Amino acid sequence: MIALVQTLVFGVLIGGVYALMATGLTLTFGVMKIVNMAQGAFLIVSTYLCYTLWDQFGIDPIVAAFIVMAPMAALGLVIYKVVIERLQRIDPGLTIVATFALALVAEALLALAWGPNQKTATPEYFNQAIHLGQLVVPRGQFYACVLAVVITVVLQVAVKRTWLGRSITAAAENPEGARLIGVEPARVGAWIFAIATGSTAFGGAALSFLYQFTPDTQDVWLGLTLSVVIVGGLGSIPGAFAAGVLLGVAEALTTTYVSVRWATAVPALLILVVLTIRPQGLFARTTRQDAAS
Amino acid sequence: MSDDSHVPLKSPRRQLTDGGSRGRRRRRFRAVAIAAAVVTTLAGCAAAGSTGSGPLTIGMSLPLTGAAADVAKAGYEGYQLWAAQVNAAGGLLGRQVKLDVLDDGFDPNQTGTDYTRLISQDKVDLLLGTFSSLLNAPASAIAARQQMLYVEPSGGAASLFDRGFTNLFFAQPGTTETLPDLFLTWLGALPVDQRPKTAAYLTQDDPSASPAIAVFKTRLRALGVTQVYDQTYDPSTSNFDSIAASVAQSAPEMIIQGAVTSDGAQFVRSLEKLNFSPRILFQTKSPSDGGYPGAVGPKNTEGVFTSQAWNAKAAYPGNSEFVSAYTKMFGSAPSEDAANSYTAGQVLGAAVKAVGRIDQKALAAWLHANTVDTIVGPLKWDGRGDPIGLGLLSQWQNGTLRVVAPKSAATSTTVVNPKPGWANG
Repeated sequence: MIALVQTLVFGVLIGGVYALMATGLTLTFGVMKIVNMAQGAFLIVSTYLCYTLWDQFGIDPIVAAFIVMAPMAALGLVIYKVVIERLQRIDPGLTIVATFALALVAEALLALAWGPNQKTATPEYFNQAIHLGQLVVPRGQFYACVLAVVITVVLQVAVKRTWLGRSITAAAENPEGARLIGVEPARVGAWIFAIATGSTAFGGAALSFLYQFTPDTQDVWLGLTLSVVIVGGLGSIPGAFAAGVLLGVAEALTTTYVSVRWATAVPALLILVVLTIRPQGLFARTTRQDAAS
Repeated sequence: MSDDSHVPLKSPRRQLTDGGSRGRRRRRFRAVAIAAAVVTTLAGCAAAGSTGSGPLTIGMSLPLTGAAADVAKAGYEGYQLWAAQVNAAGGLLGRQVKLDVLDDGFDPNQTGTDYTRLISQDKVDLLLGTFSSLLNAPASAIAARQQMLYVEPSGGAASLFDRGFTNLFFAQPGTTETLPDLFLTWLGALPVDQRPKTAAYLTQDDPSASPAIAVFKTRLRALGVTQVYDQTYDPSTSNFDSIAASVAQSAPEMIIQGAVTSDGAQFVRSLEKLNFSPRILFQTKSPSDGGYPGAVGPKNTEGVFTSQAWNAKAAYPGNSEFVSAYTKMFGSAPSEDAANSYTAGQVLGAAVKAVGRIDQKALAAWLHANTVDTIVGPLKWDGRGDPIGLGLLSQWQNGTLRVVAPKSAATSTTVVNPKPGWANG
C-alpha cells in the first residue's frame, strides 16, 4: 500500500512539473491557437538564464525565475511583432515553419554561448526530500508543483476575470467580433505571447535543478508539453494542469507496475485514448467554432 | 594548431529532384543507379591504393549537434590535437594532414550519407570513426563496402564485430563484453561473507550498455548473487524517481547500471532523494563524464565504480604529454572521449607510417598483425577488429576518478568498500 501511495505522490509531483513546463504552450496553442514550435526553445533559454544566475551569482533558480521572466516576456513581444503577427496575416500555417526555424536558431545560439556539455543547477534542495513517515516527497519536485499550482491559478484568474483575459478569449474565438467591440486582436496577441514566453521562466527554473540539460533538450519537452495541452483540452488552463498530473501519475504507475520501458509510450497512449473518447480534450468545452468546423 | 590542419565544417547537402512521367523517372533512376555504381567502383579502386601529393585528407562525420554533441566536441578536439601534432612533426608520408569533418546531428541515416559523401564525393584518403555504436554501425558498414580502413574511437557493442568486417578496428582496450571482467575479478576475490548477496540491474536500451549488463547478470548469478530487480529503460527516460523507489523497495546490496549519458547522474540524484545508498554501485560510462560530480554532488561520487578506456593518470607512454598538450590547446583537461579519438588517430598514424603508403588493405593487414602503443596502453586486435585486452576498473575516491585495476595501470592501491552513504540525502 505504501508503495502505491509513494508512486502516486511521485506521479502527482512530476505531473505538476509537466504542467509547469506546459504553461506557455497552454496560452499560445490552447488559447491563441498558434502552434508555437519554439516554445520548447523558450523553455530551454529560460533554463540557461536561471542556471547562469545561480552559477554566477548564487541566486536560487526559483528566485531567478522572477528576474528572467521580464527579458523572456520582452523576447516574446519582439518575436510576436517581428515574426508571428506578420505571418498570421499571410498564412497562419507558416507560423509552424517559422517558429520551428526559430527553435533551431535558438538551439545553435545556446550551443555557441554555453557549449554542448550537460549542465544542471544544484541548490541545496536538489537532492533532498521531505520524509513523512515512510513517504518521500522530493523537495525540488514539490517546489515545482507548488509553482505550477500558483501559476495555473494566476493565469486562470487573469484569463477569466480581467479585461485583458476576456479580450484574449474574444480575440482568439472570434477576431472580427472582437474588433467590433474595440478589441484589437494583434495587440492582444502581442500581450499574451509575451506572457506565455515570460511564464517559461518558471518551467525553466524547475528544469535547471531537476534535470541535466543541453541545448537540444527542448525536443523532449516540446513533445511532452504538446501532449499535456492536447489531453487537457485546448484553451483550458486548469485542464493543462490536470492533464500534467494525469500524465505524471500514468507514467509513475506504468514504471512501477508495468514496465519501465513502457513509461515513455504513456503520453502517446494517453492522447490516443483521450482523443478517441473526448476529442476536444478532457476539460475543453465544445464551442460553436468547433461544432461548425 | 595551424590553420591548415583541418578544413571548415560542411553541412550535409541533400539533393532534390523534380517529378516527371513515370517512364522518365524510371530512366532517370536507372541512370542515377548506374552513375552511383560507377562512382562506387571508382572510389573502391581509388581507395585500394591511392598515392598523391598535397594534403592527406582524413574524413569523418561526428554528431557535433544533437544528443551527443558534448561527446563529439571533445572527440573532435582529440582528433584536432592529433592532427596538429602529426603536422608539427612533418605530417604523414611527408604530407600535411587535413581533417574533413561533417556533422550528422546524431542521426544514423545522416552518418551513412556523410561517409558515402566523404568517400565518393570528397574523395578522402583515409577515414576515422565517429562516436557511439549507433553511429559507428552504419559508418563502418559503408567503409567496409568501399574497402576503406575504419578505425573507430567509440562503438564497443559486440554486435559491431560480428559482421565479418576485416577493415574495422576499435581503438579502445576492451569492448562491452569484456567491460565487467575486472570488476567481477575484484568482487570474486572478496571473502564470501563480504560479497553482496543481492543485486539490482538497470540499463539503458543501448548497444553499448545492455550487453554489458547481460554479462554482469550471468556471471554474478554464478557467484551466488541473487537478482532482485531488473529493468531496461528507453534512452529518452529523464525522470528516475519512480524507478529509484522500486529499486530501493527491492533493497539490493549492489546496483549495476548500464548508464550512457546523463541517465547515470539522474538515477543517483533520485537515489539521493530517497536516501537509499547501496553498498556497491557500478555504473558504466556516466561516472567518467566531466559533469557527473557536479550533477550528483561532489561528495556523493565517493566509492562509485565505473569502467574506463582511458585515465589521465595512467602511466602509458605519451599519456601525460597528451594531457598537457590538450590542456594547453583547449584550456581544459581532456575527457575520455577526447582521449579515445586521439588514440584512434594514433592507431591510424602508426599503420600509415609502418606501411609507407595509402593502401587500405595493406593498412588493415598491418594492424591485424601488429601491436600499437597508444595512450590507452598497447592495442592489439583479433581478426574482427575486436581489441584483445581489458579496459580499466576505476572508482571515485576523494573527488578523483582513480584506476584500481589492472595493477599495471592502477593509480590507487585501495578500494572503497562499502560505498559511504549520500552526503546530502
